[in-house]
Amino acid sequence: MSRRLNRAALNWAALGLVLVVALAIGARGEPGPPTEDSRVRRITSVIRCPTCRGLSAEQSDAPSAESIRDEVRRRVEAGETDAAIKGYLVSRYGEDILLQPRSKLVWALPIVAVVVAVGGLVVVMRRRRVPSSARTSRADQELVDRAMRS
Amino acid sequence: MSAVLGTAAVALGLAAAVLGMATLALGLRRDNPDMLRAGQRYVWLVLAGAVLATFAMQYALLSHDFSLTYVADNGSRSTPILYTVTTMWSALEGSILLWALVLAGYLAVMARHFRNRASDPIVAWATLVAFGVAAFFFALMAGPANPFRVVAGAIPLDGPGPNPLLQNHPLVAFHPPMLYLGYVGFTIPFAFALAALITGRLGEGWLVETRRWTLFAWGFLTVGIVLGAWWSYEVLGWGGYWAWDPVENASFLPWLTATAYVHSVMVQERRAMLRVWNLSLLVATFSLTILGTFLTRSGVLDSVHAFTESPIGPAILGFFAVVVAVSIALIGWRGDKLRSPGSIDAPVSREGAFLANNVAFAAFAFVVLLGTVFPLIVEAVNGDQLSVGAPYFNRMTAPIGFTLLFLMAVAPALPWRKASAETLHHRLLWPAWAGVLTVVVCVASGLRGLGPLLAFGLAAFAAAAALRQLALSVRAARRGGSPVWRALMGRSNGGMVVHLGVVILAVGFAASSSYGHRAQFRLAPGESAGLAGHTVTYLDTATVEKSNKKTTSARVRVDGGKVYAPALHQFPFGSQAIGSPSVRTGPFSDVYLTLIVPPDAGGVAVIGVNVQPLVAWLWTGGAVMGFGTFLAAWPGRRRRRAAPEPAAPGRPAPVPEPATVAS
Repeated sequence: MSRRLNRAALNWAALGLVLVVALAIGARGEPGPPTEDSRVRRITSVIRCPTCRGLSAEQSDAPSAESIRDEVRRRVEAGETDAAIKGYLVSRYGEDILLQPRSKLVWALPIVAVVVAVGGLVVVMRRRRVPSSARTSRADQELVDRAMRS
Repeated sequence: MSAVLGTAAVALGLAAAVLGMATLALGLRRDNPDMLRAGQRYVWLVLAGAVLATFAMQYALLSHDFSLTYVADNGSRSTPILYTVTTMWSALEGSILLWALVLAGYLAVMARHFRNRASDPIVAWATLVAFGVAAFFFALMAGPANPFRVVAGAIPLDGPGPNPLLQNHPLVAFHPPMLYLGYVGFTIPFAFALAALITGRLGEGWLVETRRWTLFAWGFLTVGIVLGAWWSYEVLGWGGYWAWDPVENASFLPWLTATAYVHSVMVQERRAMLRVWNLSLLVATFSLTILGTFLTRSGVLDSVHAFTESPIGPAILGFFAVVVAVSIALIGWRGDKLRSPGSIDAPVSREGAFLANNVAFAAFAFVVLLGTVFPLIVEAVNGDQLSVGAPYFNRMTAPIGFTLLFLMAVAPALPWRKASAETLHHRLLWPAWAGVLTVVVCVASGLRGLGPLLAFGLAAFAAAAALRQLALSVRAARRGGSPVWRALMGRSNGGMVVHLGVVILAVGFAASSSYGHRAQFRLAPGESAGLAGHTVTYLDTATVEKSNKKTTSARVRVDGGKVYAPALHQFPFGSQAIGSPSVRTGPFSDVYLTLIVPPDAGGVAVIGVNVQPLVAWLWTGGAVMGFGTFLAAWPGRRRRRAAPEPAAPGRPAPVPEPATVAS
């Protein structure tokens, strides 16, 4: 019995090892610093296309998106940092040009909600439940049983 | 003529719904079965009203009756017949009419299905609630969203036609009706949920009764959303299919809560737990369909302050508030009856997995809802304008998506109540290896990036788990002597087919969004350009004038083979040219062509090229999900049991495997 369990554990350990190694190789990006092309793509993908709905300046073929791409490229070639370029775009087009809002709230709220929900669930599940006053009627119970069998 | 008929039909529908409610209420009060039966019969008048109104609208559109404002604003003589028919759901008033028609259809099916139980209070209450919803939509048409309003002053000779984007692809004939069949379908389980709360019959009976309704609505909504993504891919021309646009999110939100529900409802059926939670999910699903209608139809997205300009926004928002308030009040009122007798014994069990699934789906819905309404709230509070776009949604939902894929792989193998290490090892080892080996093969063939690799690995894990369940089911069917196709029927087997569809879709999503290439090329006739291993050759351009539009299409040869024709359309009333992409679809990669700038004097045109892998898997996955839902909703073995059956020698022996136990 224990030998079988040991073999099982070994099998899973091997699986984990292979997975970690493969992911470690696979997750390594391009070596070296990012190219200008990739920086332009990275920046424009979080900039809204001013004349489209819901598209980024990287995705859109609209002239306004084209001109933002050109502007970003010019500034990337001039050696400006990502933050400086985004700052310039915000000053020119307004805060809503950023597709990722800088407001912390919209990022934090879901995480807080999940932590609270999971925490609450654990507490509720640990607590001893009071038996319910609701008795299922026999007709209901039969329906369920029949459905379970089907 | 159409205006008179239409207005009368709407009045008929409204009156029938209100009278039906009143008759049922009286019948319930006096405990009078005849009145309950009579009340249910008003369903047929509601249906007649909706069908007549639809007929009047179609007649007006097809006969170009521009005396109706709706036709004058959205119809035109030059629009082809198909798009004239679909004009009914190309603008607000007509889409409310479509909603009413679908709702009346569901009501009629419901009345027919429960015709022998009209005097059962739970059925009567559910019908009453559904009448209430119908009354609201007919009232919308009788008041603020009247599709049969008559033009004031001179009757125009022609109209602008529907929005150019809505007369560009035949999918507009399928996507909105599918979506509405989904949205509106949740009215029935919602009505039964309220009826169960009101009558206090909170056992699991009503769940079982509405199970198939929920599944069908879910299947339609799934197919509707996927068709919508396909439509935007084929029409919008930016090369993607999902932009986390509020309109898309509005359809996705009820799907998320409904998906949580179809899973957690199994816990309630089996263990009588999660009653409040399941009711809340149903209420949330229904009210999110209303909220989505509010978001997309009231103009609130264009400006927070614009939606009060027409009374439609406040009316829908008010209805949403009533639905939520009434439901919460009822759940609170019945709180003591809803306390569940059971509890979860161990977190690593089937019910534990369903619970985790529900937390993940709830979190998913929360993120999507928050991201959608956050800009509105911020603007309403302090006037700041900001956007929440695809990068936010992608980053926040990716971990949830991975969690869901993982659960999809593990949960089918988990037994109810408690899983031992032995069982887990036995059932999960080879699916897990399938996942890991997939990652290894992907890395070895040069694919990079943690996100897509994780997605592929988990997808393979989940697919292997689903296939294992199906294989077990087939084996059990064989042993039991029933035909093999039987093994795919029923809820858990159909559910596994749905899971396979999700896996296919997830792989398509991960691959196409991670490994796409896009470029624009300025090409003279005869010139070629290459992108991601594909060659496109620009041949020439042709211009065709038709009654409703002028089309400039470029002819582009892909990889030396077939010629594709991305085009620009100029509609007489539309100011901007609308592009229509041309796509070479393949099982492994799509080449997506757009004409961005028509040829200049020198003949040089700008062609957009977008190469994305596995896009077709998205549509395939959606189709498999729809098919799986159909299998899951199939009556299973129940129908055969109607005939008296000898005590089980021919039946499959109960195998302690979820595939056969929980169907």
